[in-house]
Amino acid sequence: MKKILFILSMVLLMGSCDEGFEELNVDPTKPSQVPVSSKLTAAQLYTSGERYENWRANLIYQSTMMQHYATTAGYWSGDKYTWNKGYASSLIDRYYESAVKSLVDIQVQLEEEGSPEEMKSIARILKVFVFSRLTDLYGDIPYSEAGKAVTEGILQPKYDAQSDIYADMLNELEESAAALGTGTSGFGSADLFYAGDQAQWKRFAYSMMLRLGFRLIKVDPAASQEWVTKAIAGGVMESNDDIAYVEHTVGPEGVNQNGIGEVFQADNNQRMSKTFIDFLQDDPRLPILATRFSDGSTDPADLKGLPNGLDLDMLKADTGEDDIDAYAEPNREIMTRRDSPMFFQTYAEVEFMLAEAAVRWGLAGGDPEPHYNDGVRAAMKMYELDSPEAAIDDADIDAYLLAKPFDPANALEQINTQYWAATYLNEYEAFSNWRRTGFPVLVPVNYPGNETGGTIPRRLTYSVGDQSNNPDNYAEAVARQGADVLTTRVWWDVE
Amino acid sequence: MNQKFKYVLMFVALLFIQGAIAQTISGTVTDNYGTPVPSVNVIEKGTTNGTSTDFDGNYTINVSSSSGILVFSSLGFVAKEVAIGGQSSINITLEEDVEQLGEVVVTALGIKKEAKAIGYAATEVGGEELATVKVTNAINSLQGKVAGVNITSNSTGAAGSSRVVIRGNNTLTGNNQPLYIIDGIPIGNDNNGAAGMWGGSDGGDGISSINPDDIESVRVLKGGAATALYGSRGGNGVILITTKGGTSEQKGFGVEVSSSVTFDALNTNILDFQTEYGQGTRGRIPANAAEAFDLGNSAWGPKLDGSPVVQWDGVERPYSYVGDNSSRFYRTGSTFVNTVALSSNAENMNYRLSLSNMDNEDIMPNSGLNRKSVSLNTGATLSEKITTQVNAKYIIEKVHNRPRLSDSPGNANYTVALLAPNVDVRDLQPGMNEDLTENAYSSNIYSTNPYFAAYNFSNEDVKHRIIASTSIRYDMLDWLYLSGRVGTDHYNRKSTSIEPYGTAYKILGGMEEQERIYTQVDADLMLGLDKDFTDKFSTSAFVGVNSNHIKYEQLNLGGSDFIVPGFEDISNLSNQTRTRSYNERKIGSVYGSLELAYNRWAYLTFTGRNDWFSTLSFPGKDASNNVFYPSANASIVLSDALEMPSAITFMKLRGGYSEVGGGGDTAYQLAPTYELFGQGHLDQPLGRINGSSVPNADLVPWKKSEVEIGLDARFFDNRLSLDLAVYKNETTDDIVNATTSIYSGYSSATANLGKLENKGIEFLLSFTPIRSENFNWTSSINGSFNESLIVETNAENQPVSLDEARTQNVQIQHIVGERFGKIVGVSYVRDNDGNIVYDLDADNVPYAREGDREILGDGVAPWSIGWSNSFAFGDFNLNFLIDGKFGGQVFSGTNSLAYGAGLHKATLEGRENGLTVTGIDGSTFDADAGTGTSFTTTIAPEDLGTYFGQINDIAEEFVEDADYIKFRELSFGYSFPKEILERTFLTSANISIIGRNLFYIQRSADNIDPESAYSSGNSQGLEYFGVPSTRSYGLSLNVKF
Repeated sequence: MKKILFILSMVLLMGSCDEGFEELNVDPTKPSQVPVSSKLTAAQLYTSGERYENWRANLIYQSTMMQHYATTAGYWSGDKYTWNKGYASSLIDRYYESAVKSLVDIQVQLEEEGSPEEMKSIARILKVFVFSRLTDLYGDIPYSEAGKAVTEGILQPKYDAQSDIYADMLNELEESAAALGTGTSGFGSADLFYAGDQAQWKRFAYSMMLRLGFRLIKVDPAASQEWVTKAIAGGVMESNDDIAYVEHTVGPEGVNQNGIGEVFQADNNQRMSKTFIDFLQDDPRLPILATRFSDGSTDPADLKGLPNGLDLDMLKADTGEDDIDAYAEPNREIMTRRDSPMFFQTYAEVEFMLAEAAVRWGLAGGDPEPHYNDGVRAAMKMYELDSPEAAIDDADIDAYLLAKPFDPANALEQINTQYWAATYLNEYEAFSNWRRTGFPVLVPVNYPGNETGGTIPRRLTYSVGDQSNNPDNYAEAVARQGADVLTTRVWWDVE
Repeated sequence: MNQKFKYVLMFVALLFIQGAIAQTISGTVTDNYGTPVPSVNVIEKGTTNGTSTDFDGNYTINVSSSSGILVFSSLGFVAKEVAIGGQSSINITLEEDVEQLGEVVVTALGIKKEAKAIGYAATEVGGEELATVKVTNAINSLQGKVAGVNITSNSTGAAGSSRVVIRGNNTLTGNNQPLYIIDGIPIGNDNNGAAGMWGGSDGGDGISSINPDDIESVRVLKGGAATALYGSRGGNGVILITTKGGTSEQKGFGVEVSSSVTFDALNTNILDFQTEYGQGTRGRIPANAAEAFDLGNSAWGPKLDGSPVVQWDGVERPYSYVGDNSSRFYRTGSTFVNTVALSSNAENMNYRLSLSNMDNEDIMPNSGLNRKSVSLNTGATLSEKITTQVNAKYIIEKVHNRPRLSDSPGNANYTVALLAPNVDVRDLQPGMNEDLTENAYSSNIYSTNPYFAAYNFSNEDVKHRIIASTSIRYDMLDWLYLSGRVGTDHYNRKSTSIEPYGTAYKILGGMEEQERIYTQVDADLMLGLDKDFTDKFSTSAFVGVNSNHIKYEQLNLGGSDFIVPGFEDISNLSNQTRTRSYNERKIGSVYGSLELAYNRWAYLTFTGRNDWFSTLSFPGKDASNNVFYPSANASIVLSDALEMPSAITFMKLRGGYSEVGGGGDTAYQLAPTYELFGQGHLDQPLGRINGSSVPNADLVPWKKSEVEIGLDARFFDNRLSLDLAVYKNETTDDIVNATTSIYSGYSSATANLGKLENKGIEFLLSFTPIRSENFNWTSSINGSFNESLIVETNAENQPVSLDEARTQNVQIQHIVGERFGKIVGVSYVRDNDGNIVYDLDADNVPYAREGDREILGDGVAPWSIGWSNSFAFGDFNLNFLIDGKFGGQVFSGTNSLAYGAGLHKATLEGRENGLTVTGIDGSTFDADAGTGTSFTTTIAPEDLGTYFGQINDIAEEFVEDADYIKFRELSFGYSFPKEILERTFLTSANISIIGRNLFYIQRSADNIDPESAYSSGNSQGLEYFGVPSTRSYGLSLNVKF
């Protein structure tokens, strides 16, 4: 009997069956918080994007729709206006789980830690940039409820109307620019854009206000003028030193690399579009941007652009050429490397917008020509950030401007065609500005079996997953905006 | 075997035989009907000297003393003792034990119970059923043999995993596979990687490590009552595997050698594509090599005419059908299994040591596995009251090049299946160019040259695994015992996966080294009693505590961009990544059981268990981290309690109610965490939220309850028997990791969501149509129907999405009111009469309009059936098994792509004269009214590619019935008769010719094997370029001496 009692008491001793369980379920490999500055660095790299969406949304779709690139490869859907849903939704598929989620989290942490306003402003401006890229490409998108699964338990965010998103984004820019002062922000050198320089962030905020204000030109010209006026008054970018970009490195991991550069390491199918090469004739940028695929020649005479919208058979029929290696491709020695910088907004774009503001409303000093010239000059100089080999002599620029001077009679087309050239590789912006202005005038292709009836798409389409994972909100957005197809126009893109 | 070795072995054997040999006795054992009884144990009482009768009931035994006693015993018969009394021939008759008192089964926690006391369904399969027709994953041998056990051995390659589900799926997104118990201790059965929509390879599972020759028996405990005592981990049923020890029928020292060889041949009857039209586009041949390269797999060219046509490499070849590429690319696979086992059974000690080697070459070239295992089982009686058991297995498993499945990159299966009929796969050799780059045959860089995929990609792993347990039992009093048991399953798996330098889609290549370290320690302490209170009342009861502790760690080193081409090491990567993950969890339990028996015909058992889960514990958490669950079951042996007609030999009714609960398998899902990731950027650290799943601080245990009733009836002296079970169970508060909108910032969220219900019926009907002296035929049919119904998901009852197909137009979903795992995808738009709506383009080519995502089928077949037959005539035996599954569907990615590529036979229509299509003109279609104007148009042959290319996007077209009836297994064996063996040192020898998966008796799906999903996870019903199916045949040999 004693033995039994002994055994039973042993059983009881073992009886606290969950001793130490609470501590055991704390992951020893993951901290409960990390410094907010480290999250900003990551969020800025996420804004630059991964290879995934840079390949599909930026290059396969938009770069070919915008006729910077052309290809005969069938899976480059944008070249022929066919519909690959996974490619079309690639930005919206990825941006929320990377950039949006991080920025929402950064804002919560800044609030919890009682961080200074200037840090909050920087996070807000970056968030506006991210959402503007999303809404411009897709239209109505989850905005007010997005990225809040942990903070607010919203697992199925509603899609906000683009009109509401724009109103809020412009307001955010105004408030956060006002809260920025001078000197270095608390993010310091963790801020890859401006190393914490508040004044530069402020100029970026107003430059973004300029961009977003101009987007309203067709849907609400009065509001457009009002915001453009406000932006110019606030102070926009002043030189190529103010360009919003991040610097990339060749490694050690994918996150460090320029997503476009990663694409060009894997994909050989893209060629410079005939439209773009034709524009670049007698332009000092031509040998910097392009080389002949077959032998790497940068002699302008050797640089032939590939027409858009053709397969090899049609190419041969149309041109007699059946060797796509005879065409020009991006100059990979100088541009489109894995450690190339990624531009979000450039000083050149700002100058072109100021020129347009002068043309339209007599703003920015009233004379568009100096802004135009400064824009061209900045656009030609900015590739020095890519490589010293991309440096263009001032004399060459002067000669270019002399040969192709500002033409007041054709100002909007000329300005925005230069804008299109200056946003090469930032195809998100090229596509938005083309929809806003109609420039450059692009001749659509009409490949057999295309999805748009031979017109250039007006947006890309949503993630198909949300049709089943968020069906009610998806249906509501489609009902408000129109069918989830490539030809539906976003709110600001009225005919 | 040469003579010399034979003598050595005999000498060794002699050393182990105790006592002098004094006399030889022989005789025949028969039953009441005069029928010989095989496999009767004949033992010289008081010694370990024994033998057993052969098929004809004959035995011969050498006894040490002519005045001893022989004991004859056999399952189902009353044992008989006969004094030798100097006789040299003893023929006896054994009485059948109609009460089956001797039938003892092993139940939960290794407790032996009388079969008739069990109030739930449990099925046993003998080890020989797994060992005769061997497969690389032994559990696959159970397919079709046990009612209610649904085994899916998918197209994952020889080293791939299997999916085993007992009585339907119990959790929406968690683990639905049973708990495996080997010699009393739980083992890990995690999948070490599976293919998904973006490809990958199957990393194999835990159960596949077990050598089929070591298996004594497999017992399947299906219901909740059977598993209540295993706790939450047994909630999906338990498969108890008992490995062979030294206590088998053979007494003294014995040696058993088993050898088998199996050849796996590609089943060429499955893929049946068109062979009339070759590579091209719009009805014409490629204009030049560059266009051939661009066209890749497109078989939209003109009719094959034998004329010279240029291919991707610039070589002109006859434009004619080149024959079956699959049978050229794949090879005949082979599996050799050799096992040697030494066993000894002495008075106080027994052991069995086995050494086994399995060598497999998969049908995929340059792919296969090797498995070596050592198993030592020992038992000892230390004193009158103390017995111990120590079992240990050491397994080394090396897998060479697990094939890539599903998505095309690196997947040889994809390319081989989709080459145009005029392209010979052999012309793609060698896979690698001289400059080390891939010999690409298509501008689609993701469509990999199959030879490059097979010979230059690499996917190696080595697993070292120890499964060991020790137990001790102390019989304190003759009715009271204490037992303790501790066991571990530990493995270390190192894998290296390489995408080589020069891969078309990843030109600088990349590699990953991964180490997985898994340790499970499980310990029990139990106090039990067995007591007869009166003549009629008896009881047995126990209480115990259990601790289960699992640690899992994973280290990854990897990256991309080889610096020196062709040198494959982490140090040679310009981009390097490293990660470590860790998961540790514990379950603590207290349990007890009480069984009451009345007059040996009425039994009542109660059990209860409380489990505490570390996965549900967190500092400051209020919600419960533990669950108590009881069970009660009863059985009544009607044939003992009541007078029954003589035709009824035995009849038992059983019934029970049980509950079980669980805490989920994933640690750290209660609170959000962060991480510093990568290696920083420009000297700045990178921080972010860890993971893409929303944590939940309020998780509580899930619960499942089950009601089961059953009947076990045997008629006509056991010549006909029926085992029937009906059950219903319900899981509530399921812990679900449900897909969220990606716009929430997360891809999934963990919550106590959902309710699901399983209802089913299982039967096993066994009969012996012929039982005679020279010929026996036994036959059994088992069948089951199980319906897993989704009752609730979240508050809004939204669908729970699982995996998506690569084609991105179809996925597996759980939908409220529907069965588990529906196939949901893009449908046609139809008018009220079911006519398809088309949009006509400018050239009048109709494009089928893509409709909503609708339910297109069931990923899990509700019906399954197996019919096994066993014929014995003289020394020969013939067994075969036919099995089938019904009521399920599969989405065929193969057929979808074959439409787009013009390879499917359906795309032949209209190639010469155009295809006439009638449907509803989309421009006139009123979706609300469901009406529109009909049109008829003839599509020009050159437009067929775009027409079928559009259909390619409509999932509905490619969801096909997965029903099948398969001739699963065949073995034809010969046992060498005693007369021959007597002149040798052998005590038994069997040889069998075996076949497996020989042919389909019935199959619904075109071009694919209905059992060819690429994943063994919860998302069943998606097919996309797995390893093609095979038929196997071989030879198996087993000798004992």
